[in-house]
Amino acid sequence: MNLERVVFGFVIILALSFTFTFVMGDIDNPAHHNVWILTIAIIVNLIGTGLKLGDRSQVGALLLASSLVADVLLITARVVWIIAENDTEFGPSTSSMVNIVSLSGGALVASIVSIVILVGDTLISRR
Amino acid sequence: MVVLRHIRRPVFVLIIVYAIGITGMALIPGEDADGNTEYMSLFHAFYFFTYTATTTGFGEIPNQFTDTQRLWTIFCLYMGVVAWLYAIGSTLRLVQNPHFLLALNEHQFANTVKRIKHPFFIICGFGDTGSLLARGLSDNWFSAVVLDIDPERIKALALRDYHVKMPGLCADACIPKHLVDAGVKLDNCKAIVVLTMDEEVNLQTSIMARFLNPDLPILCRSTSERHSEHLSTLGKVTVINPFEIFAQLLSMSITAPRLHNLNSSLVHTKGIKLGRPLDVPTGEWIICGYGRMGKWLHKYLVKHGIRPVIIDPEADEIADATRLIRSHADLNSLREAGIEHCAGIVAGTDQDHDNLSILMMVRALRPEAFTILRQNSHENQVAFDAADAGLILQSSLTTARRVLKHLISPQVQILIDYLEGQGEELTKQLVDRLKARIGENQPNLWRSNLCASEASAVIEHLNSGRRLTLGELIRNPYDLSASISCIVLAIQRGSLRIMLPTDDEVLELGDEILFCGTEHSEIMLLATMNNTYTLDYLITGIDAPRGYFFRWVEGLRNEKKSWLE
Repeated sequence: MNLERVVFGFVIILALSFTFTFVMGDIDNPAHHNVWILTIAIIVNLIGTGLKLGDRSQVGALLLASSLVADVLLITARVVWIIAENDTEFGPSTSSMVNIVSLSGGALVASIVSIVILVGDTLISRR
Repeated sequence: MVVLRHIRRPVFVLIIVYAIGITGMALIPGEDADGNTEYMSLFHAFYFFTYTATTTGFGEIPNQFTDTQRLWTIFCLYMGVVAWLYAIGSTLRLVQNPHFLLALNEHQFANTVKRIKHPFFIICGFGDTGSLLARGLSDNWFSAVVLDIDPERIKALALRDYHVKMPGLCADACIPKHLVDAGVKLDNCKAIVVLTMDEEVNLQTSIMARFLNPDLPILCRSTSERHSEHLSTLGKVTVINPFEIFAQLLSMSITAPRLHNLNSSLVHTKGIKLGRPLDVPTGEWIICGYGRMGKWLHKYLVKHGIRPVIIDPEADEIADATRLIRSHADLNSLREAGIEHCAGIVAGTDQDHDNLSILMMVRALRPEAFTILRQNSHENQVAFDAADAGLILQSSLTTARRVLKHLISPQVQILIDYLEGQGEELTKQLVDRLKARIGENQPNLWRSNLCASEASAVIEHLNSGRRLTLGELIRNPYDLSASISCIVLAIQRGSLRIMLPTDDEVLELGDEILFCGTEHSEIMLLATMNNTYTLDYLITGIDAPRGYFFRWVEGLRNEKKSWLE
């Protein structure tokens, strides 16, 4: 067992789970999406990115790239939320909400790619 | 340049015709809609003439023409069309000229060759041997430049699907200009291989190549003693005589059957299994056909105390033969030669159907005899595959294999020669070790250079001052106590050559390592040699942390550990 694999695996699976939790629900209904979960997903993703810095292997480079994509998309979604915060008294308007959730959906795909790479690499190097 | 010179006249004609037409059009007065006199501007005249001379005909602009203008237009039209027909016709004639095409082809060929950046070889003669060789080179990702006098063969070359570029030119290789076009003087030309069927052409080509590039290795096929002697005086020439090579191999299969078996399985001879050597008997032998092959086999058989009976309709008196029967090989002559109690028979005439029919007779009369069959034409491959003879000599295949071995892995031949000198016991050990590693798989040879482009992780490791042994390099990443399925045959370190190194051998920068193993192990090794983490894991057995953060954590833990101690 390798400490790095355990911690990194935990962090990126956690990031995927949080992103998924946020994306779940109707795409245009602000009541189905919690801004706190989005923020936590961003933080966990950023930690995952940080942990991958310094790995010079090919797989490491791919993992870093996919988690950077997730970071960019999630942060963009959060920024859109800040701008659209005061659209209505219940939070962002329907059209802004669609934007925010679809951006997070993109980040979800990037997280899934990360995990597929991680699992594949672990299976190939059976040791 | 020749193109420009050729189309000079048509261009002049066009310019003059245009000048006359345009000037005329601009000078002739026209009328506008109100009947005022108006001259056409030079630009309009050019525009009008352009579409008239090319028979496009957009009409009369900017105003309706007067009759004078129309008269001039008729003149312009005919003159322009004739001038264009003349210009196009003479260009087409140039393009269709076979000499022009040839020159263009040569020019393109020379440019293609110049653009090859990696090492390449020149092959003169693209017959059976040449195409086998080209295929072999392509399988090893080496380019070759092909010269052949037969245009059909060059066309056939263009249709082959090689992994790499193989430019071909239909030309006489004896002519120095063509050799230069083929890149004989270029630095990345590693050798020239001369394989035409004509001994005289081979010799002349080799001489020309030697004059053009005094350092270039030349490999020349020659089966005549006179030409071979002449060739060997040129320096750095390897004479390839397929019949002699085959006779040597036969001789090896008698004195060192295990080594012969190893050699055959390394070159992937059909029907050969590693560890199951041929059993070539040394009793009475019959040689049918005393041509080039018969002579060489006879020479080598005599060395082993075998005095064969020779059947040949045209042979002169032969020393060292038990008997000479001047006849074609048929039932009577074979019986006369004593086929009922012979140990081995060579069907070595230069006719494939004769050889096959001799084989059939041997099958009927003495099925247990060891048969050696000569195959002259590559086209009869299927029939010879079905014949199931003890050994088959196919001159083109023997030549191509030897050339390929020489060009791609000269170390293999050196190793075989070394093993031959060391006796059978060492070969047996080597084969046992090899079999233990690769099992029933086909042994595969490859060479790795410890340089930055082929083994970046190893280079990084060695440059940091740490040492690396051979055993550590070929350790199995899935099971550190075992090795991947390959063994190391030799290491070339500068001028030092280490044969069959042990696992404790310490590797150095620039080593050239010859491996033998399965194809899978080659891929595994390539991955190891270029992945720092895998290499470190193989050496230390610890999966070291990769990211900055975990390396920092690891550092802290180590510090704490040493502080506690």
